[in-house]
Amino acid sequence: MSRKSIGWKRLAQLGPVPAFSRIWKARRTEHGKRRLSERHNLWVGLRSTTSVACVEAAAVARVSERRAQGAAPTHRESISGWNPARAMAWVAVSALMTPALWAGELTALVGATVHPISGPAIEDGVVLMRDGLIEGVGNGIEVPSDAQRIELDGKHIYPGFVHPLTPLGLSEIGSVRGTVDTREIGDNNSDIRAEVAFNADSLRLPAALAGGVTSALVYQNGGLFSGTSALMRLEGWNWRDMMIEAPVGLHLMFPAVVESDDDDDEEASAAAKKALKELNQWLARARAYGKADRADLKGLEVNPKLERLVSLVDGELRLFVHVSGRSQIGQALDWLAEQSFGDVVLVLDYNARYLADRLKEAGYPVILNGVHELPNNAWEPYDAVYGAAAALHEAGVTFCIGDGGSGFGSSNARNLPFQAAMAVAYGLDREQGLRSITLGAAEILGVADRLGSLEPGKEASLMVTNGDPLESITSIEQVFVAGRKIDPDDNHQHRLYRKYAERPKPAD
Amino acid sequence: MMAPKLLSRGAKVAVLCSALATSAGAQGVSEPSAWMAETPEQPASVFVHDATIWTSGPEGKIENGDLWIRDGKIAGVGRDLEVPSGADVIDGTGKHVTPGLIDAHSHTAISGSVNEGTHITTAEVRIADVINPDDVNIYRQLAGGLTTVNILHGSANSIGGQNAVAKLRWGSPASEMLFAGAPQGIKFALGENPKQSNWGDDDNPRYPQTRQGVEQSIRERFLAAREYQKRWKAYKAAGGAKSQLVPPRRDLQLEAVAEILDGNRLVHSHSYRADEILMLLGLSKEFGFTIATFQHVLEGYKVADELAAHGAGASTFSDWWAYKFEVIDAIPHNGAIMWDRGVTVSFNSDSDELARHMNLEAAKAVRYGGVPESEALKFVTLNPAKQLRIHDRVGSLEKGKDADFVIWNGHPLSTLSMCEQTWIDGRKYFDREQDLAAREVLEAERRALIDKVVASKKSAEEEDGGENEEGGEEETSAETEGEDPESSTDPEEVAR
Repeated sequence: MSRKSIGWKRLAQLGPVPAFSRIWKARRTEHGKRRLSERHNLWVGLRSTTSVACVEAAAVARVSERRAQGAAPTHRESISGWNPARAMAWVAVSALMTPALWAGELTALVGATVHPISGPAIEDGVVLMRDGLIEGVGNGIEVPSDAQRIELDGKHIYPGFVHPLTPLGLSEIGSVRGTVDTREIGDNNSDIRAEVAFNADSLRLPAALAGGVTSALVYQNGGLFSGTSALMRLEGWNWRDMMIEAPVGLHLMFPAVVESDDDDDEEASAAAKKALKELNQWLARARAYGKADRADLKGLEVNPKLERLVSLVDGELRLFVHVSGRSQIGQALDWLAEQSFGDVVLVLDYNARYLADRLKEAGYPVILNGVHELPNNAWEPYDAVYGAAAALHEAGVTFCIGDGGSGFGSSNARNLPFQAAMAVAYGLDREQGLRSITLGAAEILGVADRLGSLEPGKEASLMVTNGDPLESITSIEQVFVAGRKIDPDDNHQHRLYRKYAERPKPAD
Repeated sequence: MMAPKLLSRGAKVAVLCSALATSAGAQGVSEPSAWMAETPEQPASVFVHDATIWTSGPEGKIENGDLWIRDGKIAGVGRDLEVPSGADVIDGTGKHVTPGLIDAHSHTAISGSVNEGTHITTAEVRIADVINPDDVNIYRQLAGGLTTVNILHGSANSIGGQNAVAKLRWGSPASEMLFAGAPQGIKFALGENPKQSNWGDDDNPRYPQTRQGVEQSIRERFLAAREYQKRWKAYKAAGGAKSQLVPPRRDLQLEAVAEILDGNRLVHSHSYRADEILMLLGLSKEFGFTIATFQHVLEGYKVADELAAHGAGASTFSDWWAYKFEVIDAIPHNGAIMWDRGVTVSFNSDSDELARHMNLEAAKAVRYGGVPESEALKFVTLNPAKQLRIHDRVGSLEKGKDADFVIWNGHPLSTLSMCEQTWIDGRKYFDREQDLAAREVLEAERRALIDKVVASKKSAEEEDGGENEEGGEEETSAETEGEDPESSTDPEEVAR
């Protein structure tokens, strides 16, 4: 199978191909064109590079039209250096040049207990991986003779963990400012994109991979709207070919008011009230901007921040609402009830448990961000945080588990499963615990068609272990990312381990 | 957080104070002891039978084992012990029992700031003076099986303050939390923290700004302490107060450093890189003192043989790294390599949260480097006890030692297990069942107290003719600025 055919195969699985005819059709209005650039996530089947090329194609169309109207290229268009000819060339060749998956690879994992997550465990199972995708899972699968066969008797196979929220790849050394791209200044950073600062060779990625985390939603902080997040595969050559999907959503740090008698809190509350007003103003401006744009108002200057917010108010871009604290979460729910967004995901702390019934009623999925955390108040039960996931599950809230950025942000993203395990120790069903960092996370991020479980057609990102991956005494022995075996010993930490484990011992 | 029967006046006051303290933004209350008014009783005899007992001692792991406690001490541990008459019997079937866990690097229960950041040496300051027995983290850590902590000063100074070894006797005044007989110690710090690398651009620089300067700042104090000792020696030799000499001026800082020279004060040195570890080993040789522990010691694996030769313990993190440049080479196999080369290794928390599941930290020594399970458990039991020189009293379940133990509902290294009971000196300081039973009562009482406060505030305002304000939610301490994926100026981070 040629490299080119992989992408088209995936497209066939995903349904109708977003052909260029559609791009040309859509480009007839500014509005349509903008939607194109926002909706390149529809084309992920083309693999990320190809989709980038498509976006560029859309941009080409847009720039051409503007030029036809005698308009100067917008700031965004000019700084990006979009050149129509170059972009057209991209469309032609990029799918051939940099496939993100590994073509031509055919591997069969044989004999292990397979835990698909989407269904019951399969004893003595086979996982067949072709061209980066899972081709078959089960125990009656015939292994093709040309497949690389890996015998795994007594081992276990699980899908790779899907980390639902982390600045992984955006930061190298926490205290060295030049290596940290996790927080922008300013109130509205809705035009900021996480993926463009994703360091493919961050030392943190192999550490996460060795811990079974094969993909992660990478986001940044700062401002009310902190920008869009990107779902990244943790192995590859550059952010374009590691990108599974972007934008996954726009992140809003909800400005909740803290009610108390404390002077400091009063100040913070005043700031929050002001910020909420600003937030509503931004959305009003976005609606007006969208309206003007649809009317093809001449002379409307392109405003990238508002463009992004138009997608939001039009319900085409997912919104992640970050908010912590019991009353604060309540305020966010009140506010959301007055809005009409599309997909909304709540990023909450353990206080979500106190509003579980409201959350269930509102129907928003929740990223429970952090289990290894202290309760806010001295009077709360000591296990208020540990038991939050179980409480959400009991109330019927759809949720997945994040690590709250603890363990120094992303350097210990590898400990995500232990946070899920703590939730299990304190009452969450064990299967749910595992689901909350695999398929459950993929569902909430809208990528369950590609990730999170071991099923035919999904990305072959998985791990081979000697036991339950929620247990820290379990060893993760092999990791595959999109069908490609990662050498868990080939990273900074393991190189140092080998070097010093082999240091000659002093003579007795 | 206590059994209903223990809801005494003291507890009520504490709950009320706590409700008020949170709204005032204060951390603690000026009560002499914590919420639980009474120290739990010490049954004369307690017998746990048929549990899996991880002794961390010579007897290793005992399946279907029994543990006998008498008057706060371990009276017996083994298989098929005879049930003593009159003992409180606990059925340990399906349970696991370990020694109480020990954290050799804690900042829990320190009132106010962990650091005295002004001078490069602050050997005169003492943690024991500022222990807050009302810090709820004491109770939270008990609920994770922790029983003994080494409360350390921060790492802002090359020679920092004096430590306090304490047992988590929740409900006792600070003085009774101190571990009687534990050797005194002192915090040292090397590398980025004492040289102020991450203190921000606006901070006035203080000597030293280099690792070389850190060495000399320590060496200078040892030289001064030697002179100080000589002056006192000469004075005493001349007859002391009976002589005609003016006594040397007492210097509390040099006194503490001189105690190190005399072998009466243990050095616990914050460190990361191999170079600075070798540097301090060199100074210890020059001045003839022993380093009890290198703390964090994330590059300890590079100089494990040197650490072992000196006899220095290594109190490290299981897997932290990458938060600053000096920990870029930190590897999660650090503990395993040092253990393999004969270093006494412990895993510490340095965190109020991590201290709640030290057993899970120990488990990572199994994952990274294949340390056997019983040896890994020692990373949070016997080994930190050895490092603090209190292993004759705690750290393992052996006859004659303090009855500090934990009952778990499963394998103690399992991330899926939970701590059910925590005992110190044969007293049950934590019992999950009691904790659960007390919750409803406490919550009702808390509500009632808040209602009273709100009502009294309203009536006061009405009398004043002021505006009626809502009583407001009780919750006040949630952060308002949202989470930071990774702040480079996190003060806690700087303290590490």
